[in-house]
Amino acid sequence: MTDTDTPVSGHQESTVEDVDDTQAVVSRVVDNVETVIVGHHREVEHILTALLGRGHILLEDVPGVGKTMLARAIAESFEGSFKRVQFTPDLLPSDVTGVNVFNQKTEVFEFRPGPVFANVVLGDEINRAPPKTQSALLEAMEETQVTVDGESHDLPEPFTVIATQNTVERDRTYELPMAELDRFMKKLHLGYPDTDQETEMLDRVVDHHPIDDLDSVATLEDLRAARETTAVVTAEESVREYVTRLAQFTRRHAELGVSPRGGLAVLRAAQGRAVLEGRDYVIPDDVQTEAQVVFPHRVRTSTDETTPRAVVENALESVRVE
Amino acid sequence: MSTSTRAPDLPLGLGDVDAVRAVALGGIALLVSAYGSVFYHFIDVTGEPALFLVVAAVTLAAATTLSSSLRLRWAAVTAVGLLAVGLTLYVLSLPRQPPVAPLVTDAIALMTGRSLLQVTNVDLWVLGVSPGPLFLTWYLGMRRRYVASVLAGGGALGFLVLTTDASNVTTLLGVVGGIVAVAVGDMDRRGDSIAAAEPLAVLLALLIVLSAFAPVVPAGPSRTADTWSSFQTGGLGGSADTVEANLVNADNQVGIAGNLSLSPDVRFRVRSDSSDYWQVGAFDRYTGDGWVRTGSRRSYDGQLDDPPGRSRTVSQTYTAVEDLRVLPAAWKPVSVGASVSDRAQVTDLDGLEVDGTVSSGEAFSVTSSVPVASAEELREAGTDYPSEVEDRHTRLPSSTPDRVAERTERITANAETPYDTARVVERWLENNKEYSLDVQRPRGNVADEFLFEMDAGYCTYFATAMVVMLRSQDIPARMAVGYTSGERVAEDEWVVRGYNAHAWVEAYFPEVGWVRFDPTPADLRRAAEQEQLSEARENNRTDVDVNDTGGPEWTPSPTATPAPLTPREDQPAQEAPGQQTIPDRITRPGGTPVSDGDPENPSVITAPANGSGASDGSGGDSSGPFDRRPPTREEATLGAIVVLGLVVGLRRTGLTGRAYRAVWLRYQPTKDPETDAERAFERLESVLAERHRPRRPGETPRQYLASIGADERAAQVATIRERARYAGRVTREEADEAVSLVDDIVGWRGA
Repeated sequence: MTDTDTPVSGHQESTVEDVDDTQAVVSRVVDNVETVIVGHHREVEHILTALLGRGHILLEDVPGVGKTMLARAIAESFEGSFKRVQFTPDLLPSDVTGVNVFNQKTEVFEFRPGPVFANVVLGDEINRAPPKTQSALLEAMEETQVTVDGESHDLPEPFTVIATQNTVERDRTYELPMAELDRFMKKLHLGYPDTDQETEMLDRVVDHHPIDDLDSVATLEDLRAARETTAVVTAEESVREYVTRLAQFTRRHAELGVSPRGGLAVLRAAQGRAVLEGRDYVIPDDVQTEAQVVFPHRVRTSTDETTPRAVVENALESVRVE
Repeated sequence: MSTSTRAPDLPLGLGDVDAVRAVALGGIALLVSAYGSVFYHFIDVTGEPALFLVVAAVTLAAATTLSSSLRLRWAAVTAVGLLAVGLTLYVLSLPRQPPVAPLVTDAIALMTGRSLLQVTNVDLWVLGVSPGPLFLTWYLGMRRRYVASVLAGGGALGFLVLTTDASNVTTLLGVVGGIVAVAVGDMDRRGDSIAAAEPLAVLLALLIVLSAFAPVVPAGPSRTADTWSSFQTGGLGGSADTVEANLVNADNQVGIAGNLSLSPDVRFRVRSDSSDYWQVGAFDRYTGDGWVRTGSRRSYDGQLDDPPGRSRTVSQTYTAVEDLRVLPAAWKPVSVGASVSDRAQVTDLDGLEVDGTVSSGEAFSVTSSVPVASAEELREAGTDYPSEVEDRHTRLPSSTPDRVAERTERITANAETPYDTARVVERWLENNKEYSLDVQRPRGNVADEFLFEMDAGYCTYFATAMVVMLRSQDIPARMAVGYTSGERVAEDEWVVRGYNAHAWVEAYFPEVGWVRFDPTPADLRRAAEQEQLSEARENNRTDVDVNDTGGPEWTPSPTATPAPLTPREDQPAQEAPGQQTIPDRITRPGGTPVSDGDPENPSVITAPANGSGASDGSGGDSSGPFDRRPPTREEATLGAIVVLGLVVGLRRTGLTGRAYRAVWLRYQPTKDPETDAERAFERLESVLAERHRPRRPGETPRQYLASIGADERAAQVATIRERARYAGRVTREEADEAVSLVDDIVGWRGA
């Protein structure tokens, strides 16, 4: 299943009950995650709406603010499989995708799946791996399947990648190209917690880290059903037009603007946002909230006077909400 | 400068620039059509309009084509050259080659208020003269030299204003066009948007409205006081007349022109060998709405020609009782006495005029040779008219409707000679039209209107109609004005009063000359006007009688009755004893009947603007610029500009917008629930925008309501609308709830 071949709203109507059920699941997950993660409520919600909208997430920040912890907490809240890959400069593509090994007993090659075969994959410090290895993961995200020695292997469903990226060590890193950044639905920044939150975090983890006690609160089936409900959330024409005009605005005001794929991504995220708030229809508010994290990493500016974030902010202020 | 030389504009702005240019050129076009319409009128009266239209079209097309290639200097040379060639051709076309000096004085005379219609061969004049200014005006406009263009066009129009041929409305139209061209042209050159012209539209509307009402303000007699559409000619009454006129006419500022209609005041006494009509002038050119005498006048220098046929000599001695500005004479005058011969002028139609006045008490003699011809002789006169007479006196404006000729044809089907035709027409008019002083001046061709649209009229209408009818049958005819014979106080003496003023018809018969016909029914007229004298006498007015009038009438012996020229029973010239001749009046331009004495320049008269001028002169209708008639094209154009200005003005003051909004805000018609919910929210937004601030473009309704701290009702409306709009799901009840919530919020305080 790819980002582009799924209709935004299908013919089957999501019922209000479905939405309520999904909302309940999502709330449980959020509550569960927040037993571990202090603060960052907004980012937690963003990750969940991305999950609902079948997107992958890129967390970017300085080391030590809890990127990995957050990803883990979310992954552990579902009862599916969770794998973590630490990207390093010497990591090979097959270390991610898996490899065919010759079984001497049976005298046939057997596929040994790599860490990408999991429901939630945490790719730590993705920008430290060489491009070839990066693209192995990104291809898997795009195709939801892995091809090794000409043989295709389907990834499990649901499949979500949460990647992190370090912004401190600029040398010996391989910046993700724009085309590949585009595959991530959202790029989130965590930022430092405020004083109270930081203190509380220390209190919680000083002797025993709660992540070790975290239980799953939702089944994979819950997640699948939630995604189905989300996919059929109504996005009326006026909302779709609004998304289009936002994307077009960024194209007019930046060197590289939001692509149609970006528009589709924000609409999916907005559907997830609508479910999160218990609605079975998207309103412009959903689009605005999601656009702030869906759009900026898809925009490139050529001058120093403006930043991608500023362009997106400008679009949100200027494009009329009908 | 053509468009291509201008700095390239953004595609968006180009539309604006073109609109500005179009409006500026529209102003020029308005100016051109203003003076073009006057030219057209000339041609219509005297020549072939189609030819003029072709000339004008070719000129304008040439100006358009050459505007991009021809240099300014050469264009000016072209225009001047066109004018010079045109004038030369015109002068060469004149029957008599006049020396240069009179041409110059004539040109100056034209600019002091003589209508161009008095010019001989005015059609050739127009064809010769018009291409120059037309070319220059349009060329300059196309070159974006708007100011110069307006100067050129304004010069042409100004000349026509000075010759009194451009009516107020035409002038105003030209002025408005000029203002638009200069102002908008300026914007065009600066590259402004057409929206910047809005104040101009308001000002123009104001200008037009003011100029429409200015004449109503009593500011003394003014020619602008005429109704807008009537043909503006002639001067005002002399100063000796205006006092009386103003007194009596105080309620009505329209067309004050000397002494009054139906005035029983005695003008002059005349001793004469025989009774006759005392003619003071004749007119040859019919303009559709009035009469003009063409040609210039010359000083009286001795004996004038006798009429071509038999005639008898009638000696008359006039004694002015009031100051006279005319020289009455029985047709056809051949000599005047020494007392006025130095002041006498002879018109191109062989009539007499006086340069200055004949003072009260002054006497002068006139000798006339009155054509004598029996009915039989007139029948046998044939149609071998001198070409000069025929050319001049059978011409009708080409705009004269065909039905006039057709009707005349039918009426006179049995008449075999011009004389019979004239008699039949005369009798037909007498029998089929009523006499009335109270008529509304028709718009358009007076003769046609009188024949087909009106039931009644007075002498001017009757005479005009008859002349036109005769001309339609190719019988040379003209309009004559003057006085009927008056009250006979002795065998050879008549007293002539103001109300004796009259208009009649003269038709030409070969070998006889001009013969008088009077199509005005006499009986009704007398009845109406006899009252005037009686009333005046009852009021003990002393100026209505001289010492020998008012008493027992002098009874003529049978032999004293002169043979009527056009024999007929009710000929006013043959009044029975005891009857007074109370004829019609002639009328002055502007609708007020003219009396005796006053036409100091009676070479132009128009059909009366209205006939309501009873003795009080107020009339009470059609005095302002707006009367009940349908507007002319010019008035409609001006009216449209006024409306445009008003609309723009109202829009600028925001009145229309506010009024509309107030209604819009409070009245919501019920449609489908989605629309209703949406509309309810729009109303809510609108009222909140007024009370707090408008929603910013990028602001969602939720953010907006939260930001201004709107109450729950507003939130509820927004929620309902949100569902209607983004979920496509709203029930009738919800929509109604939203509407009633908004009704509640808006209240009557809204807006």
